[in-house]
Amino acid sequence: MTPKTLFDSVDPEIMSRLDDRQAEITQGASINGKLAAALALGSIPIALAALSKDVFGQTPTDVLDVLQFALLLEYLEAEFYSRGVAAAGLIDAADRTIFTTISAHETAHVTALQGLITGKGATPNAKPAFDFTAHGNVAGFNFSAGQYETFKVLAHAFEDTGVRAYKGQAPRLINDKPVLTAALTIHSIEARHASEIRRLRGKKGWITGNSRDDLPAFTQGIYDGEDNVTQGAVNVSTLPGIANVAAATEAFDEPLTKAQVTAIVTPFLA
Amino acid sequence: MPDKKTMLISRAEQFSDPATRRDFLKLMGIGGAIVLLPSVLTSCSDNNSITGPGTGNTLTIDFAKGDIAVLQFAYALEQLEADFYTRVIAAFAGFPAADRAVLADVQKHEVIHREFFKAALGAANGFTLTTTYGSLNFSDRTSVLNLAATFEDLGVAAYNGAAQYITSTDNLTIAGKIVSVEARHASAIHDLIEPKTNAFAPKSFDDAFRPSKVATAAQTYIVDKLTFANPPATFVQGPNGNG
Repeated sequence: MTPKTLFDSVDPEIMSRLDDRQAEITQGASINGKLAAALALGSIPIALAALSKDVFGQTPTDVLDVLQFALLLEYLEAEFYSRGVAAAGLIDAADRTIFTTISAHETAHVTALQGLITGKGATPNAKPAFDFTAHGNVAGFNFSAGQYETFKVLAHAFEDTGVRAYKGQAPRLINDKPVLTAALTIHSIEARHASEIRRLRGKKGWITGNSRDDLPAFTQGIYDGEDNVTQGAVNVSTLPGIANVAAATEAFDEPLTKAQVTAIVTPFLA
Repeated sequence: MPDKKTMLISRAEQFSDPATRRDFLKLMGIGGAIVLLPSVLTSCSDNNSITGPGTGNTLTIDFAKGDIAVLQFAYALEQLEADFYTRVIAAFAGFPAADRAVLADVQKHEVIHREFFKAALGAANGFTLTTTYGSLNFSDRTSVLNLAATFEDLGVAAYNGAAQYITSTDNLTIAGKIVSVEARHASAIHDLIEPKTNAFAPKSFDDAFRPSKVATAAQTYIVDKLTFANPPATFVQGPNGNG
């Protein structure tokens, strides 16, 4: 196999960026593990395969990673609400339609994500076991009658997390339009849920500054960074006619990285 | 009439120029003549009205501009929303306090969105729309909330559908930051109209509408004639398949 043939089979954009990486590689700097192993084996194709993901971050592998990550969040929400609506005496009768609606949506999101993953030729991750006390942070919570306020607190936290989590992953889907569009249509449904539950709890439907309102301190990571007022190159708190910092933070929801979301969700994994 | 004045309109954009508009109205008052060159004939209806939907100047969004076009499309919708809520809060004194609290917040958010796009697009890619609400009674709670819900739902579907045409991850993130706030608004306004029902989120997946579908819906409330140049050839449907 000549180099020309090899390179012809590679996305030309990879080649345009390869020079930069080659400099690093020959200097032995910042070589990732897979790349180092591939070079040690003397395999240029394997090294290229490792590079392509390293350079672009938007390979099908990344789309699958986003889908599996979203599936974990939806498993969490779906189990939370399905246990909630099944629990006798937990949810106020007047609010029942709200939660049966949300529960059905989260279950539909699980099914849709599993279908997208299967459609990519992969296997959806299994649902893990959850601990809705968050390892004691929500002491004694077990969906019992009389725990409705705590149930709503957790719903408030989960929905605001979901909005920020999907938003943070959207850039990784930019080259897969069907998955991007599907994810966005879930993202905005999570925002509708968040607004409804926040309002049900007597709060605004939107997030002001980085306030967690009356949620427990361990949830602060869900709100950190929501006080950002710089959008692109624009300071949106000092715009003509509407210099209002609180409104500026409310008007834009902020993304969370996968690592930030993982830190928020991990306490809920059994 | 020997002293009859003539006003020459060669570009539809001239209608958006306040000076041109002033002249136009003056001429109507004194029986002047307006010469419309062929370039603008398609943008005006035959009754000389400049207030009906789509009867004003032509606003062309050229998708050959890439992300700029998507931002301009969003800017048009945010101008409509900001204008609407600004009129709402000027007339909502008789509404319940819970409504006023939501609508006052939403008005601020939409003005911030509008001003953000204005700043981000800059003068070269900016424009100012003229709106129209027909016979809407802004002091009627039900009418106002229903149209607010329509605008918020449309905004959500518009961003969800247009995101596929964005090529910059930074712009995609900005769109994501705004669309979820529009969805929060939609939920809150539906909740004001029909509390404790499923109206806040009637479907498992939100809609994603293609830009032309959104433009047709928004045109009802916009005097300028919205048109697309080089519109995207393809549209990827969302789960609801109705875009």
